Parts: sequence; structure tokens; C-alpha cells
Amino acid sequence: MECSFALTGKDYVLVAADTTSARSIIKMKVDEDKIKTLSPHLLMAYSGEPGDTVQFAEYIERNIRLYHIRNLYPLRPQSAASWIRRALAESLRSRQSYTVNLLVGGFDTADKTPHLYWIDYLGTMATVPFAAHGYGSYFASSLLDRYHNPDGTLEEGLDALRRAIDETAKRLVVSPGKYTVKVVDKDGVRVIDL
Amino acid sequence: MSIMDHNGGSVIAMAGKDCVAIASDLRLGAGAQTIAMNFEKVFPVTDRLYMGLPGLATDVITLREKFRYLTNMFHIKESRPLQPSTFAHLLSSTLYERRFGPYFCEPVLAGLELTPSGTYQPYIAGTDLIGCLNFAKDFIVAGTASDKLFGVAEGLWEPDLGPEDLFETISQTLLNSVDRDAYSGWGAIVHVITADKVVTRTLKGRMD
Amino acid sequence: MEAISHAGTVLGVLATDGVVLAAEKKVTGKLLDLSASKEGGYGGSGEKIFLLNSNVIGGVAGLTADANSLVNYARSAAQEHLLNYNEDIPVELLAQRLCDLKQGYTQYGGLRPFGVSLLYAGYDPHYQFQLYHSDPSGNYSGWKATCIGANNGTAQSLLKQEYKDDITVEDAIGLVMRTMSKTMDSTTLGSEKLEFATLTLDPVTKEPKAKIYRPSEVDVLLKKFDLAKKDEDAEMKTA
Repeated sequence: MECSFALTGKDYVLVAADTTSARSIIKMKVDEDKIKTLSPHLLMAYSGEPGDTVQFAEYIERNIRLYHIRNLYPLRPQSAASWIRRALAESLRSRQSYTVNLLVGGFDTADKTPHLYWIDYLGTMATVPFAAHGYGSYFASSLLDRYHNPDGTLEEGLDALRRAIDETAKRLVVSPGKYTVKVVDKDGVRVIDL
Repeated sequence: MSIMDHNGGSVIAMAGKDCVAIASDLRLGAGAQTIAMNFEKVFPVTDRLYMGLPGLATDVITLREKFRYLTNMFHIKESRPLQPSTFAHLLSSTLYERRFGPYFCEPVLAGLELTPSGTYQPYIAGTDLIGCLNFAKDFIVAGTASDKLFGVAEGLWEPDLGPEDLFETISQTLLNSVDRDAYSGWGAIVHVITADKVVTRTLKGRMD
Repeated sequence: MEAISHAGTVLGVLATDGVVLAAEKKVTGKLLDLSASKEGGYGGSGEKIFLLNSNVIGGVAGLTADANSLVNYARSAAQEHLLNYNEDIPVELLAQRLCDLKQGYTQYGGLRPFGVSLLYAGYDPHYQFQLYHSDPSGNYSGWKATCIGANNGTAQSLLKQEYKDDITVEDAIGLVMRTMSKTMDSTTLGSEKLEFATLTLDPVTKEPKAKIYRPSEVDVLLKKFDLAKKDEDAEMKTA
């Protein structure tokens, strides 16, 4: 089943999402990238109802890009997250709502700080030091509560992330096999090989 | 479980002598799972009026943003702050607009109303999720711990408390009530409003 | 455009740690009721300088009724942005919003354009302090120091001579005051002829802080720079 994790550290945000694309009990694909790079310093991991996820993520991606083109600078993470949350909150009360859960992580180049937002399909948004969606969240929340260090180095952050992923692999019956991991810091977005 | 209880959280407001206080817990949950321990549910409306919004978190944020928009527009066009009694009716009609598809929040107001003689009078009020106003002289409670809050507040509150005593009363009421509620807790934030200033304190509760 | 060249001068100077705005009021006279501007509101008398958002002050020159309508539009646009993005509107974006509106009236027939030029003094985290000017056609541009309204040529050249890139708000206030006193028709200044505002950062919160001076505060400022109207009775007595 789908799992996504994210955590902040000293001047960076780590975002991880599994790579399986499934229909019912069948895996259709095992190398799907479910983390979009919305702007040079902004990442969004998405999961939820198949179909809704990609449609919604692309809608967000194109609108954030449009703002960047029009204004020459991109939206700051806090503003982007607020706008995305509103899109979901308005969708919730429409005839057909998007069932999409998000982790939005970004580095604010204006005040040089990392930001992470937990957003669910209802349009609930929380500013958090670490976050998770899916069944993996039951293991990750408690592990990250214990081992997360908000001022940790990237290595420390990756160690904490590995713990969460390994525990999920060990304890969850329907655990995903592979994850994409991305980090965003002052230099932008990079893919990390765990 | 009702949708009102999905994210958890509680708010209480109390009237004192020439002062009012309003407080909330800091938990944000998704059912039984705790997502965040820094989710404030009380927001400033003017310098002398605060609004607490317990309920479904998506609507808490949406309403907070909506009322910030409405009060800012009032403030900038009228060049004067909204009075609590005026805001209460704005609140009521805004909620009733969604009578058959409501915002799942039960707002609580605490503020000081400017009287014609230039003094300030304590004002607290609450509404249900479709905007039925409820004025009280003593206290207003709402959220997942509201039943416990009613009991403890009934026991601890007394008339004409000063700012410091009111702070102690509201803090003890909230902390002891949320200890008996699985969906509220993880610390609290308390605002005590007097005519010349607002004192905000963050409390640690039983962080478990 | 004609209306703007006769309108009261509005002057803006961008400093390293803030922006300064001053405006000459044309509607004066001892029968004018100014009691509303003495207390309450944002300060100022609301003829030339307006608070557009918590991070932007606007100065207007031209048809007053048109200006009021644009100020209203700007305030709505800024609050709309706050609602959508949970941040104060970036200054240039606010200028763009008004210019999109103004441009529309130059393109479609049947309606006349807004006869208003504006100065925007603002702050945002992207470009820090900024000063913009927009004209009725919908053009806008960023400035270090500029001027709109009557005698703007004179003021412009004075500013060009005296402006320095590392000017502070303190010095900018002086520069604005001196330039204003030279461009205005009357020889002496008083709060009934002048509106004044600054935008700085709050030293504690680091949030932008707009200050539109009340008439009494303007008089204090004028006295400080020795530009105040001399009390005629006092002069008579000493003479």
C-alpha cells in the first residue's frame, strides 16, 4: 500500500514516496515517481485515489509554474502550501472531490529556512517537523518522534528516514518495495539514492 | 464518530472583571492518530477580540482565512475595528449561509466591547455550526472535551476574577478537562485580554 | 493626464531601511471640516495618501473620485491575495493588478480611462523596500525617488541632484521635506497642506510597519526641519 514520509533537518527537507502503482491487489508498475518538483525549491509527494492523484498534482504543478513565469520568482513554500490546501478544501465541497493526500516540503530562499506541510484530502494542513501518509505513518510517526532531530545533518536525516522505511518493510503486510527519495535545500532539488 | 470529532480539539472562553480569557489545546489528529502538537485554534480578530474555532481542521483554516478577509475589509474601509457584538452577527450570518452544508466548526468569541462611555465590557459568545448565537455571562465551551469542560468550569469559575486569577482558572479548567479527553491535549495556549493589552501564554500539559 | 499635471504633488523616496511618501493637499481652507483626521483611522486626512495593505502605502494624483475607486480596488486585490496565498501581496504584483485594470480602459471603447497616477511605497521579502509609479495608461516602473502631480519636473531634477544610493529613512525624510517645500506653491508649509507617510520594518517583529502621520505629527516634523508656517500673531508682536 502507498506510503510517503518527509522530515526537516538543518536547512533541508527530505521527502520520500514509494514507487508502486497498483490497481486493486495487482502491482502495475514499480518505478513510478510520486514526488513532483513544483518549483526550484519546492517538492510535493502525492498519494491517494489513482487518477485523482496525477490529475491534481499536474493541475498544481502547472499553476505553480504559471505563477513563477508571470512573476519571475516562485511562490514561497508557505504561500504555495496555503494555495494548494485551499484547492483541496474547495474541491472537498464540490460534486466530485479529489481524494489526494500530500506532503509539501520546500526551502524558503527569502529567509533561508526549510518548511514542511502535512496536507490531507479534506484540506487539513499542519506545519510539522516530520510527516507521513498511508499505513507507513503508524510506524513512522512514533519512530520519528523518537529519532528525528530538527537540527540534524543530512546524514542524520537519512538515518531517521531509513529507520522509518525499514520498520515499514519489516512490519507491514502490504509494504512497498522501493522508494524515491528527494531532498530540497538552498541548492535546489536532488534525488538521493538511499 | 462524528465528523466534528475527526481532528479533535477544544476551546474555552471565560469572562472576568474588566477582562476575558480564551484558550485552546494544541492537538491536531486524524481520528486516533496525532498529526501535530502545534495546531492553534484561537485567532485574533481585532486587538480586543479573539475567536476560537474547534471542529474539522480544514474548516478551521478556511473560516480563519475567511474571517480575516472580512474583518480586514471592514477595518480598512471603515477605519475602525469591529466591535465583538457586530462581529458575532457577521459570524452568525456567515455560518447560516451554509445552512444545508455547514462548516463543521463551533466558534467561540471572547473580547472587550467598547461602551458609549468609553470603557470596555467583557463579551463572550458561542455559536453552533450553523450560527445560532449563545451569549453567556460566565463561560463558553466547545470541542471534543466540551462535556468535561462544562463540568470543571462550573466548579472553578466565579464572578469578577482579575486577569491573573482568570488565567489560572481557565488554564486549570482546560488542562484538567483535556486530560480526560483522548482527542484533545498536547499543551495549550491561553490569551488573557484586558483593555490595554493581550497576554498570551503557551502551557505544557500532560504531553501524552 | 491634464488633471494629473495640476494635481497636488506626490513625492516618494526609497531609502535603504524604508520608503518615504509626501503629498501636497489642494483641498484646503478654514471652513473645511478636518475633525475626522485628528484621531482614529490610520492617520492622515485620506485625501492623497492611503494604506493599501499592511505592507503598501499608496499616494494618488489626479481625479479624486477615480482615485478612491482605484484605492478600493487595490485594497480588495491585496486582501484577495492574502486569502489565496496567506501572505501579504508582493508590491509589484499589486501595482500590476491596478495596471491591468487601468490598461483595460485604454483598450475598450465607450468608457474613459482612470485619470489617476499612483505611487506605491511597499515592502515584500522578495525585493525588500520598493517604490513604483503607475500612470493612467497602465504603464508602471520602479524608482529610487520620483514624483507625480504639479511641478513634477522641478521636483524630479531636485531629487536627481540630491539622491544618494545609501540614503537612510532619516535623511530621506529631510530630502522629501526640502524638495516638497521648494515645489509647493505656498512658501510655508503646514499640516493642512501636507500629508506624510513612512514605511519601515518593525525593529522587533521585522514586519513592515506603515505610518501615516496625523496632522499634529506632520507639524512636529515641519518644525524639526524648520519649514513650519510661522505663527503670524507671534511675528506681529515681536515686530
